[in-house]
Amino acid sequence: MTTSAFEQFTHDATAKTADLRHRAVIQKNIASYDAAVARGKSRFADWQNARSHAAAVKWETINHLDRYLEQFEANVLANGGHVFWAETAEDARAHVLQLARRHGVQKVVKSKSMTTEEIHLNDALEAAGIHAVETDLGEYICQIRGEPPYHIVTPVMHLTKADIAQTFQEKLGTPPTDSAEELAMIARARLRREFMTADMGITGANFAIADTGMIAITENEGNARLSFSLPRVHVAIVGIEKLIPRFEDLALFWPLLSTSGTGQAITAYSSLIGGPRQEHEVDGPREFHVILLDNGRTRLLADAEQRDALHCIRCGACLNTCPIYKNIGGHAYNTTYQGPIGSVITPHLRDAQEWSHLAYASSLCGSCTDVCPVRIDLHHHLLHNRRNAIEHKFDNLIQRFLFRAWLWTMQSPVRYAIAAKLGNFALRRGFAQAFLKPWTAKREFPMPPKQSFRDYWRQHGTGA
Amino acid sequence: MRVALFIPCFIDQLFPKVGIAMVTVLRRLKVDVYYPREQTCCGQPAFNTGYWPEARELAARYCEIFADVDAIVCPSGSCTAMVRNFYPELLGKASLTTAHTYEFTEFLVKKLGVTDVGAKFPARVTYHDSCHALRELRLKDEPRQLLRNVQGLELVEMDQAETCCGFGGTFSVKFPMISYAMDEVKVTSIQKTGAQYVVSGDSSCLMQIDGYLRRQNLPIQTISLAEVLAST
Amino acid sequence: MEPARDNILDRVRAALRVEAHRPLAPTSAPIFPAVSDPEARFREEFVALKGQIIENAEALRMFLKGFTKITTDGSELVGKAVGEANASVHECDLGVTGCDCLVAQTGSIIVSTLSAGGRALSVLPPTHLVIARRQQIVPDLANAMALLRKRYNKRWPSALSVITGPSRTADIEKILVMGAHGPKQLAVYFAE
Repeated sequence: MTTSAFEQFTHDATAKTADLRHRAVIQKNIASYDAAVARGKSRFADWQNARSHAAAVKWETINHLDRYLEQFEANVLANGGHVFWAETAEDARAHVLQLARRHGVQKVVKSKSMTTEEIHLNDALEAAGIHAVETDLGEYICQIRGEPPYHIVTPVMHLTKADIAQTFQEKLGTPPTDSAEELAMIARARLRREFMTADMGITGANFAIADTGMIAITENEGNARLSFSLPRVHVAIVGIEKLIPRFEDLALFWPLLSTSGTGQAITAYSSLIGGPRQEHEVDGPREFHVILLDNGRTRLLADAEQRDALHCIRCGACLNTCPIYKNIGGHAYNTTYQGPIGSVITPHLRDAQEWSHLAYASSLCGSCTDVCPVRIDLHHHLLHNRRNAIEHKFDNLIQRFLFRAWLWTMQSPVRYAIAAKLGNFALRRGFAQAFLKPWTAKREFPMPPKQSFRDYWRQHGTGA
Repeated sequence: MRVALFIPCFIDQLFPKVGIAMVTVLRRLKVDVYYPREQTCCGQPAFNTGYWPEARELAARYCEIFADVDAIVCPSGSCTAMVRNFYPELLGKASLTTAHTYEFTEFLVKKLGVTDVGAKFPARVTYHDSCHALRELRLKDEPRQLLRNVQGLELVEMDQAETCCGFGGTFSVKFPMISYAMDEVKVTSIQKTGAQYVVSGDSSCLMQIDGYLRRQNLPIQTISLAEVLAST
Repeated sequence: MEPARDNILDRVRAALRVEAHRPLAPTSAPIFPAVSDPEARFREEFVALKGQIIENAEALRMFLKGFTKITTDGSELVGKAVGEANASVHECDLGVTGCDCLVAQTGSIIVSTLSAGGRALSVLPPTHLVIARRQQIVPDLANAMALLRKRYNKRWPSALSVITGPSRTADIEKILVMGAHGPKQLAVYFAE
């Protein structure tokens, strides 16, 4: 008997919300993020207007996506690169393995890429006997620990220096240290050897530029640059929604992404790759492959109401503001994409019924919508997902009946008043204990007063 | 101008004092108020759970009951947001009725232009921004302007004023562990201010916060903004 | 014969038969405030990022003394400033390159395979020194993109990087550490 996704979620959320150490670590991380983002936003003449610009550019792109995909492909090909269209995760994995076989690849270096997580590429590579090394410091730590990344932008937000030092001690045999610098230098030295001996570099892309046929990669460490500079083959796995129309659009999107992602004006390295090494160039891969990934994105595209969820630039701002995310952490979602954007898109990318609980695991506070740099209507889409779940009859008969009965009651002030009196009586006499248990287990529930507002108005309202 | 009272079902049953306080303040300001007895519920529980056809019935009913009215005032940010922001989507059209539905503090400050209602409440107080009032109705300054003019009242801001308290309607019982953690984060923030009272324009939030405070036997009290403004 | 390509594009076209709700239009006001003094702004941003500005020829001489194994992009400007390379990019402790331009808004230096001797030279060495001219400073990213477009349109190099400060990571408890993979130190010298 397998655990349903909902049961697993409930179990994990229960454990995490009770973990006060976890809560403190997340809050500390996010407090420093919040301060950095406030500084970052002040560099814009008008942050709200910048969001509107970005929303307009993404709307234009996504609503003419076929045109921009074709333009992008034509330009990549013209620059000597290859384009593979992957309908499913399986297709993308199979193609990477095929390329790896063709080029005799034994070792791969990877830079942070949510799409490679999404298609479970590392498992497929390992199964084929290919050693895939995560080179982003946070991802490297996750790989050593055998854990998926915790957060879209900061993969080890949940770990302290001590946790990481212990991991390095156990898995790499390095001496103990409580210096973040020393830990980073250990990783740098180890990974430098990997870069030098890797046969293939695999990256994602933050943006795909239609009019120049380039992919843009944003990072701070330099591991992506090394991944696409040193090995002889470079493969980039790019979601089809990553398109933006023009090279010049990056003057907005680069600062927008860094500001929302980390509070930086722009990250240390914002790179563009347009193709393989050219004849006169001294280094670089001999082959450049872009894998355009659908994997359910066209399903989301077909939902015109929620299509703007494809505008997402994967900055992580919605995760960082979400009180649910801050209390349950990333792993509890058990999905590639977490937080508000994850809850919105997962029912479209995966089985809608199995993941319908994500839309309900939200208080709909709306902070996500307020912070999204491309103005995705996130919290309203959670409402839409709830409506869709009921329309598709993912609910149970009891709940359906209860709401019909509730409606019938509320359509008459007399029925409402009678039901209210009955409820009032039940609460005062303690008959509703079991019903209220989820609340009263840890919180007091108010005792309803004898006189309702309606009663008061009937007695005192019109005069006094 | 005749102003119709829209008293949400849970205020009618659980917190009638909030509705009574609102009436007290409006009458003090010489506003002519009346209460259409046909009203029951705005439909938000059904809407939020995804039962839009059911919610639609109640939305249509609300528009009939409150048709041809100058203004409708409601002591709840969440129910006001339901009517003003979501009824148009539900019913497929906007209407004067939905447009003329106001939350209590926004009615005072934006429609009546009043920020001093002659209230007195000597205490140290912090204000919790309910999500619907803050993000759906865009109310942030209005409650604070009113509180600053209350005699004897000392207003201190908590660092997490804008963070959701964790109520979220049925979310509070469907995912109680998350709701409770959010409640705890909110109360911790309130405690840091040294306030004696936490005030909000939404009684559902206050119920959530109060639930925690009372179970933990903490000395902080919850009180609605309407009750503070009615206090003399 | 590319069925996947056709399938995906067909699904896209079918989906787009219904237009999505348009967001509110932005205003035409500038997205970033104008940069009044580009050189001063570049200095301010670059230094705040822990970049090092080498002020004059004497300072350059002192700086170079700290390195024994130097690799260069072989350009004339770099050759005049630091002389010839004496090590490969893999063995050096200092890599010296030119650049396409410098961006005052963000304190960035833009390099390409053409302006900086390939891909690895500006990222592999532990220290990266850029030899530039003051005239290469542009006010903001929009200007930089226009410059690159003008210089490279239709004959783009295979890789470009906008470098903003040395390599860094804050993955460990949000503590800033320099030199995660790329250069730990980044310096610029303005040649006459």
